[in-house]
Amino acid sequence: MTSAAAGVWLVFRRELATVRRTPGYAVLAIGLLVVLGGLVAVGGGGATGFVPAVVDLLLPTEVLVPLLAVVLGYRALFADAASGELAVIRTYPVSAAEYVLGVLLARTAALVAIVGGPFALVGAYVWLTAAPDTGIFATHAGVDSPVLFVRFLALVVLFGAAYLSLSAAVSVVATSRRSAVALAVLALLAGVVGGDLAILRALSAGGSASGVAGSIALTPNGAFRGLVFEHVIGVAFAPEGGFVASGRAVASLVGWTVGGGVAAAAILAFRSHVDVALERTRGRFRQ
Amino acid sequence: MTDEPSATLDGVTRTYGGVPVLTDVSLSVGTGVTAVVGPNGSGKSTLLGVLAGAVDPTAGTVRYRYGGPREGGDKRVGYLPQRVPFRDGLTARETLGFYAALVDGDPDAALTGVGLADAAGKRVEALSGGMRRLLGIAQATLGDPAVVVLDEPTSGLDPEMRERAFRAAARAGDDAAVVVSSHDLDLVDAHADAVVVLRRGSVAAAGPRERLLAEHDAADVRELYRAVVGGSPDGPGVDDEGSDGDADGERDAESVHVAGVSDR
Repeated sequence: MTSAAAGVWLVFRRELATVRRTPGYAVLAIGLLVVLGGLVAVGGGGATGFVPAVVDLLLPTEVLVPLLAVVLGYRALFADAASGELAVIRTYPVSAAEYVLGVLLARTAALVAIVGGPFALVGAYVWLTAAPDTGIFATHAGVDSPVLFVRFLALVVLFGAAYLSLSAAVSVVATSRRSAVALAVLALLAGVVGGDLAILRALSAGGSASGVAGSIALTPNGAFRGLVFEHVIGVAFAPEGGFVASGRAVASLVGWTVGGGVAAAAILAFRSHVDVALERTRGRFRQ
Repeated sequence: MTDEPSATLDGVTRTYGGVPVLTDVSLSVGTGVTAVVGPNGSGKSTLLGVLAGAVDPTAGTVRYRYGGPREGGDKRVGYLPQRVPFRDGLTARETLGFYAALVDGDPDAALTGVGLADAAGKRVEALSGGMRRLLGIAQATLGDPAVVVLDEPTSGLDPEMRERAFRAAARAGDDAAVVVSSHDLDLVDAHADAVVVLRRGSVAAAGPRERLLAEHDAADVRELYRAVVGGSPDGPGVDDEGSDGDADGERDAESVHVAGVSDR
């Protein structure tokens, strides 16, 4: 007999072992490090400080982090379902929720290493090469500080976790590897540009500009960008905040992450029931 | 052996896209090896999927004496799908270790039980097809489930591996209801306690092997198969070849009982 926690832990370990033995992920991490290092170098190098580095990295981060998160997540739940191993796992005392939680936690741990690692190395590089005043652990506005980069790093991981969870949820409904890729790309595009386009469209249709700070927090990219402006860039340069509603933005990122996991578990648990209900309806129509 | 069946299907129907794959199947399985045979497309994998809880029926019910696949905190049903699904990258020991930990089982004993102790450190993708299937049988029997469902465990194997796979299944059948689908009628004849013959998604014949052989005046399962379905197990049955499409003269009564289980 297995407890729920033990079930999650065993699925987590198995998933992590699989990620560790996939060399492509290490290549992705190295590639990300090269790109981030290049962007910081082009922006003036580590000597410029943490906040200038964050400014240089912000826009590419909004594309690269979702992309890597989707690469990590698009097959996370699809692979076992497609191979048939999920049907075997479900004969063991592991619920759909425990299985999804174990897989997503392992993939999130991988995300921390593959995405968080290169960002942390870039931060360490800035720390080692920046001007002396960036070594101050500032807690007040107007001073560049490693703390600001740590905040940025934390937001990057949370941002990536939201996309990872969403792409994993989307992968559950895929019926083939090709459709899993297509759905993941669709989710990526919808997240990266869809939210901003929707807000621009609302504004051009006469929506109130004062509501942007609230509505921008609803999309993962908007929430991430707003939080970085509010709690990283804005701390060093602007005494007044107001880029985004912080509580709503954090809740949005956490909500996308948890929502993706819950949706994935629900789909896995109830998909066969829905399938049977559809078949019964079909049968009635044929009669 | 007990008179009470380990699993009972009652009026089970399954359709895909509105097309029936199983139609009103009723049968019971008990301790021992029950072989499910029939032409390609006769519904064997769907029937086994229903028994394993991997496929939900669109009509009918499945009852288990000791609880279903997702009931309680124990493993009640073991399942090996037709395509062995284990992940590449993990070793045989790691693969079985994951499943064994879920049921407090011993992966090394399970590997030894199917003769794979020497291959424990090999990665799954490096195992031969036969070894992968033996690994699958070891997985399915972990945790001593009351019902073990093995979908074509001998498919694509050489004769020696087929014999090993069937022997492993038969050993599990000492304590559990083992349901095996197979096209290998000689092995079915050698190891099965009961036989279910499927034709076009329905049970054409089912019962203890000896009884079926006597009823159909057949010397072995191959003759029984010819008598009930016609043709060879890999090819279409007589009905598929254009004879009377409603030929179901060999079909048993609505409810069929197999594997040493008394008639309901």
